[in-house]
Amino acid sequence: MNIRHRIALLVVLSFLAILSIGGYAVSESRRNAAEVKSVTDSVMPSTLASADLAALAKDVQLATMALVSAPGEDLATQLREKLAQQKAALTDGLQQQLESATDDTQRGQVKQAQESLDNYFASIEETAKLKLAGKQALAEANLFATVAQYQREFGQIIDALRVEKTRAKDAAIDSLKARLARTVQALLFATVIIIVILGGMGWLLYRQVVIPIARMQAEMSGIAESQDFGRRVPITRADEIGRSIMAFNSMIARIEESSIQLRQKTADMQTMLQNIPQGILTISADGTVHHEYSAYLEKILDTREIAGSKAMDLVFSGSSLGADTLAQVDAAIGACIGEDQMNFDFNRHLLVGEIERKAPDDSARTLDLTWSAITDEFDTITRLMLCVRDVTELRKLAAETAEQKRELEIIGEILGVTQEKFHEFIASSLHFIEENESLIRQHPEPSTETLNQLFRNMHTIKGNARTYGLRHLTDAVHETEQHYDALRQPRPEVAWDQPQLLGELATLRNFVERYASINEVSLGRKGPGRRGNVERYLLVDKAKIQETLLRLDAVNIANIHELVAARNAVQKTLRLLGTEALRETLGSIIESLPSLAAELGKAAPRVMIEDHGHLIKTQASALLKNVFMHLFRNSLDHGIEAPAERAAAGKDPAGTVSLTAATGGGMLHLHLADDGRGLALSHIRAKAEETGLLAPGQIITDEALAQQIFRPGFSTAQTLTSVSGRGVGMDAVREFLHREHGKIEIRFTDTRANNEFRHFEIVVSVPESFAEHLAEAASRIVIDTGALPAGKAVA
Amino acid sequence: MTQVLVVDDSSTVRNEVCAFLKDAGLVAITAVDGRDGLDKLRANPSIKLVVSDVNMPNMDGLTMAEKIRGELRNAVVNIIMLTTENSPSIKERGKAAGVKGWIVKPFNGPAVISTFKKLAA
Repeated sequence: MNIRHRIALLVVLSFLAILSIGGYAVSESRRNAAEVKSVTDSVMPSTLASADLAALAKDVQLATMALVSAPGEDLATQLREKLAQQKAALTDGLQQQLESATDDTQRGQVKQAQESLDNYFASIEETAKLKLAGKQALAEANLFATVAQYQREFGQIIDALRVEKTRAKDAAIDSLKARLARTVQALLFATVIIIVILGGMGWLLYRQVVIPIARMQAEMSGIAESQDFGRRVPITRADEIGRSIMAFNSMIARIEESSIQLRQKTADMQTMLQNIPQGILTISADGTVHHEYSAYLEKILDTREIAGSKAMDLVFSGSSLGADTLAQVDAAIGACIGEDQMNFDFNRHLLVGEIERKAPDDSARTLDLTWSAITDEFDTITRLMLCVRDVTELRKLAAETAEQKRELEIIGEILGVTQEKFHEFIASSLHFIEENESLIRQHPEPSTETLNQLFRNMHTIKGNARTYGLRHLTDAVHETEQHYDALRQPRPEVAWDQPQLLGELATLRNFVERYASINEVSLGRKGPGRRGNVERYLLVDKAKIQETLLRLDAVNIANIHELVAARNAVQKTLRLLGTEALRETLGSIIESLPSLAAELGKAAPRVMIEDHGHLIKTQASALLKNVFMHLFRNSLDHGIEAPAERAAAGKDPAGTVSLTAATGGGMLHLHLADDGRGLALSHIRAKAEETGLLAPGQIITDEALAQQIFRPGFSTAQTLTSVSGRGVGMDAVREFLHREHGKIEIRFTDTRANNEFRHFEIVVSVPESFAEHLAEAASRIVIDTGALPAGKAVA
Repeated sequence: MTQVLVVDDSSTVRNEVCAFLKDAGLVAITAVDGRDGLDKLRANPSIKLVVSDVNMPNMDGLTMAEKIRGELRNAVVNIIMLTTENSPSIKERGKAAGVKGWIVKPFNGPAVISTFKKLAA
C-alpha cells in the first residue's frame, strides 16, 4: 500500500470514527429524552394524583359528617348529591391510578381501593337514607360504626398506594440519572478509544513516511558529500519513497557512468600528457603555465619548474629572439587570453613558430612552437595551448636532405653532358676563374677594360653552363656575373673590394670543383672520355635519379619518418652511383675464358657468380680485374683438368669456377673455387725444393706448403705456358692487394691432410669500402662461357 | 559602402591600414586622435567599426572608447584597439568600454580582413 492510500485510509477512518461517536451520542440523547418525558409526564403526575386521593377521602369524611349532622332535609339532600360527586371523582382518580399503575402491586392496591371505596360509599348511602328517613340516631350510629370503619380502611389503602407511588417515582428518577451517567461514560470511552486508534495510525504513517524520507535524505546527503557515486540508497519499499529512491539511484548511476567516463578521459589525458613525445602546456590569464603539462616538456626545456612559472620566461629564456620580438609575443598572448576568439586570429602571426634555444650542453636546439586557443562556450579564450616540438634533428635532416637533393640534381645535370664535353667545360671554367683571379689581384683599382674582361669571362662560363643545362652552376655564376655588371655601371652602387671578389671567386671555384669531383668520384668519369660510355658503370640511371628527386619534392619535411626514409633512399641512390655488379667487373675476363680454354686444351668452363648483393665501386674495378684475370687463368690452367681426364673421373667435361662475395671484419671477401683436381701439394713441394725455398724432405704443414706459391719466382707449371708463366705470378697478385690494404689466402676445403691434391679455395679480401651492399640487387648467375657469342676479344 | 574609422596619430600606420582596407573593398575614414575620432563618428553615425591606436595626443584611444559609449551613447559600434604592449590594466579599461578586440602591432592584414568585414557590415 502506498503512502497516498495510507493517508486516505487515515482520513476515512477518522471521518467514520467521528460519525459513529456522533451517531451514538444522538441515539443516546433521544432515549434519555423519552425517559425524562415518561418521568415528568406519567410518573410524577400519578404520584401527585395519589396524594390528591387522600385529600378527597378527607373531604368525603367531612361531607358525610356534615350530612349526618345537617339540621334540615335540604341541606342533607345537597350534601348527599355532593357526596355522589365526590364518589365519582374518587372513582375517576382510582381509574386513573389503575391506568398509570406500573406494576401488579400498584394495580392490586388500586383494585383494593376501588372495592373499599364501593363499601365505603354503600355505608354512607345507608347512613344518608337513615338521615333522610329521619332516623337521626340510627344515622349517627351507622356513621360511627360502619362508615368510620370503612373510612379508616379506605384511608389506609390510599396511603399505602401513595407511599408506593412515591417509591416508584424515586426509582424512576434514579434510573434516569444512572442512564445519563452511562451515556456520558460511553461517549468518553469511545472518544478515547478512537483517539488512541487514530493516534496509533498517525504514528505508523509518520514512521512509514517521515523516517524513510529522513533516511533517504541522509543517504543522499552522504553520497553528495563523499562524491562516492558507487554508493546506492537501499530500496526497501515499493511506494512513492521507494520510487523516488529508484529514480535517485538511477540518476546516481548515470552520474557514476559520466564520472567514470570523465575519470577515464582524465586518465587518458594524463597518460597522453605523460607519454606524448611532445611538449604541451597551457598559458593562463596571468601568463603562467597551468599545472597540467606533458612530461616531455621537462626534457625539451631542461627544467622541472614548469607549473606556475611565467610562460614567457620558461619558453623563451635562452632563445635567440630579440627583446622586441619577445615583447610582441607577450603582447599577443595578453591580447588573446580573456578576449573573443577573433583576437587569436588577429595576433597569431606574432606568436613565433620556431625558436633556437640553448641546451644545457650549449648545443643549439630548434623548437617548433604551435599555438592554439582554448575557448569556452562563449567563444572567449580562456587559455592558450602551446605545443613544443624539438625539431633539431628534423631540421638537420631536412638540411641534409636538401644538400643531397642538390647533389642529385647536379648529378642529373652532369649526366646530361658527355664526358668529353664536361671535361672541356670544367677545364675552361677553371681557366676563366683563374684568369679573373689574376685580373682582380693585379688591379687595386679596376679599369673599364678589366671590368669588361671579368664580366666577359664570367658571362662565357655562364653561357657554357647554361648550354649544358648545369642549372645550379649557372645560378652561382649568374650572381658573380651580376656583381661584375654592377661594378661596371657608370655610378656603381657596389665598391671594388679585392678580398671580397677573390672570396667570391674561391666559392665559385669550389663549386666548379665540386661538379668535377662528382663527375670523377661519384660517376667514375675521370679524364676526358678515357672510359668511353659511362652509363655502363652506372647501376643508377637518370630515370632513377629523377624518381628520387620527385620523391624528395613530395616529402613532408615536418615528418621525421618521411624525411629519414627520403634521406635513406637518396643515400642509397648516391651510394650506388659509380658501382657495378661483380659480373660486370669481371665481364671481360669471363668473355676471354673460352679462347683461353681452347689454348689449354680444356673445355670452356662454367662460371658461377653469387654476389649476395655486393656491388663493386668502379675505382676498385681495375684492381679486381688484374687479380682475377690471374686467378681465373690459374684455375683453368692448373685446377680444371682436360675433358678426357674429367670424364674418366666421372666429372662434367667442362669445369666450373665459382666466385662468392661476402663481407666480414670490415672486408669484402671474394671466395674463388673450382671443381678441378685441387691444389697439387706434391708439385709445390718439388718445385720449392728445386728452387731452394724448402730443404729437401723438410716437414711442413699443408698450409705452410701452400703458402709457397706466393713466394717470388715460384711457378708450378711443368712447362712455361703462354698463359700462366708470364712473370706475373701469385707474388705479384699478393703485392697488388697489399698495396690496396687487401690480402689473399688459400684455405683447404677438405680434411685430407698430407694428400697429393687437396680441395681449396682462394679468398681475396679487400676493404669493405670497395663495395656497396644492396640486398635487393643480390644475384646468383651461372655463365656457360662456351655459349657466349664468339668473336669476343680478350681484354 | 562599408566604412571603417581608423584613428591613429601616426600617418604611417594610418596609411598602411587605410591602404589595406581599400584593397579589401572597405572605405576608410581617418582621424588623428581620440577627439577627432569622436567628431568623425558623430558625423558618420552609420560607422560600425572603429580601429584605434591606444596612445595618442589630446585624447587616447581608451578615453575615446569610453566617450563613444558614454557621450555618444553609441553601444553598437565595434571597437578594435591597436596596441604594442600587454597591460592588464589597459585591457580592464578596454573591457569596461566594450572594446571587442586587440591587435598587436605590426598589423597583419590578411589575418584580420574577414573579421573586419563582418564587424564593419
